[in-house]
Amino acid sequence: MRRLLNQTEKLKLFFKLLFGHRMGLSGFSIILLFMFVSVFAPLLATVDPSRSGEFENILLSPSSQFWFGTDDLARDVWSQILYGARVSLTVGFIAAFITVVTGTLVGLVAGYYGKLAEELLMRIVDFFMMLPELPLMIVLAAVLGPSMWNIIFVVSLVSWPTTARVVRSQVLSLKERPFVEASRCIGAGNVKLMFGEILPNVVPLMFAQAVIMITEAIYAEAVLSFLGLGDPTSISWGMMLHFAFESGVMARALWWVMPPIFSIVALIVSFSLLGTAISDILEPGYKEQKGY
Amino acid sequence: MVGRKNKHTGLVVCLMGICILMLTFSGNVLAKSKKARLSVGFTTEEALANLQTGEAWQYTEMGAVFWPLIYDQLWILGPPPNYDPLPMLATHWETEDFQTWRFYLQKNAKFHDGKPVKAADVAFTLWYLPKSDPSWDFPDNDIESKKLIKLIDDYTIEFTLVNKWPGKYPPASWMPILPEHIWKPHKRKLTRFKNEKAIGSGPFKLKKFKGGEYIWMVKNEDYWGEKPYVDEVVFKSFGGQDALNLALKKGEVEFIGYNGASPLSVEDFKKTKNVDVAVSPGIELVWIAFNLHKKTAIQDKVVRQAIMYGVDRDRIIKMVYLGYAKPADSFIYPELPEHNPNLPQYDYNPEVAKKMLNDAGYVDKDGDGIRNDPKTGQDIVLEFLVPSDWPQEVKMAKLIREQVKDIGIEVKMKVVDLDTYYEFIYTPMDDKFDLSISAEEPGPNGSWIWEFVRSFEGGGKGWNQSYYNNPKFDAFLESYLTETDLAKRKEFAYKLQEIIAEDLPCALLVRPDLIGPYRTDKLEGHVEAMGGFSNWINSWSYFKIKPKE
Amino acid sequence: MGLRGFIFRKIVAACLTIAAIVCVNFVIFRMAPGDPIRMMFRDPRVSAENLQLMKEKFGLDKPLSGQFVAYVKGLTRGDLGLSFSHRRPVLEVIAEKIPPTLLLVISALIIAVFLGVVLGALAGWRSGTRFDTFILTASLTMYSIPTFALGIIFLLIFAYHIAIFPLGGIVTPASGFEGFELVRDVLWHMFLPAISIVIWYVGEYVLLTRSSMIDVMGQEYITTARAKGLKNFRILKRHALRNAMLPVVTITGVNLGFAVAGVIEAETVFSWPGVGRLVYDAVSKRDYPLLQGVFLLFAFSVVAANLIIDLVYGYIDPRIKVRS
Repeated sequence: MRRLLNQTEKLKLFFKLLFGHRMGLSGFSIILLFMFVSVFAPLLATVDPSRSGEFENILLSPSSQFWFGTDDLARDVWSQILYGARVSLTVGFIAAFITVVTGTLVGLVAGYYGKLAEELLMRIVDFFMMLPELPLMIVLAAVLGPSMWNIIFVVSLVSWPTTARVVRSQVLSLKERPFVEASRCIGAGNVKLMFGEILPNVVPLMFAQAVIMITEAIYAEAVLSFLGLGDPTSISWGMMLHFAFESGVMARALWWVMPPIFSIVALIVSFSLLGTAISDILEPGYKEQKGY
Repeated sequence: MVGRKNKHTGLVVCLMGICILMLTFSGNVLAKSKKARLSVGFTTEEALANLQTGEAWQYTEMGAVFWPLIYDQLWILGPPPNYDPLPMLATHWETEDFQTWRFYLQKNAKFHDGKPVKAADVAFTLWYLPKSDPSWDFPDNDIESKKLIKLIDDYTIEFTLVNKWPGKYPPASWMPILPEHIWKPHKRKLTRFKNEKAIGSGPFKLKKFKGGEYIWMVKNEDYWGEKPYVDEVVFKSFGGQDALNLALKKGEVEFIGYNGASPLSVEDFKKTKNVDVAVSPGIELVWIAFNLHKKTAIQDKVVRQAIMYGVDRDRIIKMVYLGYAKPADSFIYPELPEHNPNLPQYDYNPEVAKKMLNDAGYVDKDGDGIRNDPKTGQDIVLEFLVPSDWPQEVKMAKLIREQVKDIGIEVKMKVVDLDTYYEFIYTPMDDKFDLSISAEEPGPNGSWIWEFVRSFEGGGKGWNQSYYNNPKFDAFLESYLTETDLAKRKEFAYKLQEIIAEDLPCALLVRPDLIGPYRTDKLEGHVEAMGGFSNWINSWSYFKIKPKE
Repeated sequence: MGLRGFIFRKIVAACLTIAAIVCVNFVIFRMAPGDPIRMMFRDPRVSAENLQLMKEKFGLDKPLSGQFVAYVKGLTRGDLGLSFSHRRPVLEVIAEKIPPTLLLVISALIIAVFLGVVLGALAGWRSGTRFDTFILTASLTMYSIPTFALGIIFLLIFAYHIAIFPLGGIVTPASGFEGFELVRDVLWHMFLPAISIVIWYVGEYVLLTRSSMIDVMGQEYITTARAKGLKNFRILKRHALRNAMLPVVTITGVNLGFAVAGVIEAETVFSWPGVGRLVYDAVSKRDYPLLQGVFLLFAFSVVAANLIIDLVYGYIDPRIKVRS
């Protein structure tokens, strides 16, 4: 009989499996690349992209001086891409964090306590899931005003129900498991059970959800900024597309349009790949299949 | 058996798909018609959503250009260089005291439905239009009571204004003469009438209207005056600047309907075959409105002047407009006779600005690079209001912020949507901004622009973005508006400009050029005025353009 | 109980959801900064009396509770208020824009479901092969490209540089086309926006069908069918596909939310005069009644569609009937 793995071993195993998974590895590497880029943006950028540049440099195509060319205010596109990574990753991680934490708490409470709490919470969840996401986000962002934090808030508000529902299903099935019964016999209180026993088993699911939520958040930030609901003084890939679309010279300045699109897609795809890998790994029987 | 049936369904579906694809790829072939058509391009933001009169006819680009084609005015602003008032529906007019006016109308003018245009229609319009919609309420059509509008006969009308209206232009400018027999049932609220047929008496008739997409107009064959030389005019809407530019290059439109093209596309247009670019002096003026109500350093004239010395207009013109703009120093355009040539100029001089601020006690006490206000001890941090919908102005505001930072004053951008902007800027007493970008198109007949600096008590409420309060200025303004002698009027005009340039409630910045690309292959006869080929003061291109020989 | 109970509960839930949506809708818009009446008039010269008149006309002078009551009353009559920017009843404005959106969405949906299910089923059937990995990666990518970005790319390539499609709109302006020519004109304009939406959908349906197919394939009745000696393709069609389709049907309901997003984006980029574009216009003009109306419309459609799908699912899935 195999012994159960402790936390560190579980983590090591997870990464081994991840790196063995083709898609997971590629996704993970791209994400790492973007994170590196966003942290070291000031060093890698050639100029401070927020200050407008010199007149002669307006809308230049890529050159040795401006690797991705310049925009209509003579700002370096390459540098903007680097700084834009910060916004996308920040919004992605923070919104996903808030979403997953909220969703998990709600799902946990609803699944564990059942009865009235579950009914009430699930009604709320159902209600939110009925609402069309983008129009709701647009409306809220329009009402709250353009800012990165508003976007984070809006995205989290719209996304937490999915996590709640998923977690609740998991909790429902976990509730009946023997180890929970056992703990109850020993005399563990409700809260202890919830957070001590059930939660750790929900964690893998939380990660899977987090990854999905990150892609949603990155996408939402891009769309909202593109539609003009983002903060015009911040540099984000969506905002770059917004200004390019409005400028009237989009057709001539492909170097301004393609890099942000490519970055958005690359980042979302890489998280999706990671997500697919994670869900594959969590599939019962996967690690046995791979020989562990 | 079963297998073969499956194969067949697959094939059938594929064939269907190919058919559909072929249909779509076959593009469109516009019937080659013999008619001479003038197509003009707008963006969907500028487009008219419906044909109701109201703000849209004044404040949307398409609206302001559309109605003067369908409806006649009493008199029309002539082409440059003099922009003289020319007779239109009114053949001539007279006045003794500049308060009571008599207009004599064309006798053979007819509406598009055949009914004649009579003085009663003019009276109806004069009385009900300004009442229905505040945006038509101007000082030059302000009549106190219906009794003061007299129908001398079927083609002569006399009315008395609340205030005198001296100057180069007669009153009742820029108003569509509406057919009373159609609008009478809605007289209490003209703006509610759907006006689907848009019956006017103008040189063009409405053929088809698709809100937000296009307006199709045809020549009025029965027009009483000089008939247009093209058979059709179509206003087309496009999703964005890119689409509009491409449409022009492809020949789908002749020229751009109002705001012209961005300076960034000039080179591209010049290189295009059959396309030329006309750069006209603009009609728009852009300035900084300082909020004099809010208790900040801005209330000190020295600070305002220093800020203006710190602003590098040339750089703004270069960076934001690529050189296609002129510096502005007054609400009156330099080419007009009333422009004061000796106004204080705030040429870019950061050293002078810094010295002024130092001398006045605005020094940086805490070493953070921002000057401190001696009255409060705090850093001088100002909020700069600018609407997100005006991209040029947003760029300009960013540059100004950088420049003003260099002379030691911190400026924070407050970018809001257009409606919030309008709400904030017209209520300076709510202190929602310290300084703001502002822009208007006064035009040659633009004395209404002075209301922007008339004090609240003096009647400027609702216009005065700066909360400027100078009774002396108000007095001069009254004198200017009521002075009938043109020479004396000019003197007052000079004085008004001088006071504003010195006090700087509004600091004029730039006058952007209008970049008008236009096609040269099919039509000719475009008439250029300030602001280009087509705007609210210039319908002449539509009246004069004709097919090339 | 059983089926009837199920239907009853679903309908009640839908009604409650709609009621909640109506409330939330009202609250959100009253939260907005700025005075909406002020915003209606760009012209500052509006006199105080006129402002008051307008306020009364739009019912904004009453206290919030009064406004809410008026709002709900109006809804029952089908009165969604007056659009600020169009100066026409909101319902009228929206009604005009529904047909273009329906046209776009339904065409895109049909193509996408067909392609997506077929490709996804094949990929799931051949799970683990190179073909599967290829389809999987391709779908992931397609699913990850925001529709507006894809739209921009298509616009630039096929409407600008290789100009074989129009730049936007639904018809060629003032063309005088009728009948067949008009249909062709509309199809020509519809191609690019539809494809932009389709690609995202196909990606999603492929992923779904594939995973659902993999699930199903692991089930016992498939192995039984194989053991019986039935040919592969038949198994696919008769057994696997039908059962794999169930989750796909449900997901279509949930996906309507995403459909809405795709439509808003595609219509904005291609200036398609539909309800999606209306959202964008209403937002930029702060036209609250219109925005409220559109939002309600979307929410109602999604709820209604979900309800229908739930009922259909309840009807199809035998397990529901048994539960009591």
